[in-house]
Amino acid sequence: MVFLAYLYELPNATSGADAILSETTNVFPAFVPLILFFVFGVVFLGGIARQRVRTGTADYSAWAIIASIATLLPALLFSVSAGYIRLDWLIIVVSMNLLSAVWFFLDRKISEV
Amino acid sequence: MGSQITLTMSLIMIGLFSIAIIGFAVGFASDNDAVMSITDDAELSTFYTNTKTNLSTTKSNSEGTYASIIDTTVEPGSDVAQSAGPFAVSVSNVVSVGKNVIFLPYQKIFGSGSGFGIFFTIFGAVILFLFALYLYKTLRGNP
Repeated sequence: MVFLAYLYELPNATSGADAILSETTNVFPAFVPLILFFVFGVVFLGGIARQRVRTGTADYSAWAIIASIATLLPALLFSVSAGYIRLDWLIIVVSMNLLSAVWFFLDRKISEV
Repeated sequence: MGSQITLTMSLIMIGLFSIAIIGFAVGFASDNDAVMSITDDAELSTFYTNTKTNLSTTKSNSEGTYASIIDTTVEPGSDVAQSAGPFAVSVSNVVSVGKNVIFLPYQKIFGSGSGFGIFFTIFGAVILFLFALYLYKTLRGNP
């Protein structure tokens, strides 16, 4: 039998399903930030695209703040256990929320806030 | 950007949102015994406290403004208010909220080095150039 040559040792999930995540993160530290970037991109670009199809225009600042909050939630979940996310990344996600809020609220009219 | 009311409301809402989102993250970390907590970062904790102080100052100023408007007396025969003081509050008190909110993400994302400072200086120069161009075109038409 010919075994495939893996790039790294396959994770052993007998101690729990989260071992898959943590061992993948050990080998590939950018794994969690890429997941967060993926969540942000899917919500932001997907929301804009669908809204443009449905209404003809897109509310960029609103989708930015929604996508930021949608990114903050998994980032907080990853912060519960050690080894998934660094403090720097968590703070960058929070900072993205704040910047989106600045954009969103300065973009609104008084009747919309 | 609109009126003074719009700007004031926006700045206050930005401050409130910041407190809400950071408070949620801090609460989540302490409730779940998280290993990583954003309170571990000194600057973010300072920002949290500063924003709360800004907003509570705004709150007490607003109450003072309201009281002074209620207490205003107009003498019989005079048609002018004696002072515009009651209306001078608002934007000047909450501008510091905006500064704090913008400064922290800038420092956290771009760092305190000079690399992005150069970028933003050039970006600002381009924006200024565009602004000047618009002014010129408005006054003189297309060159």
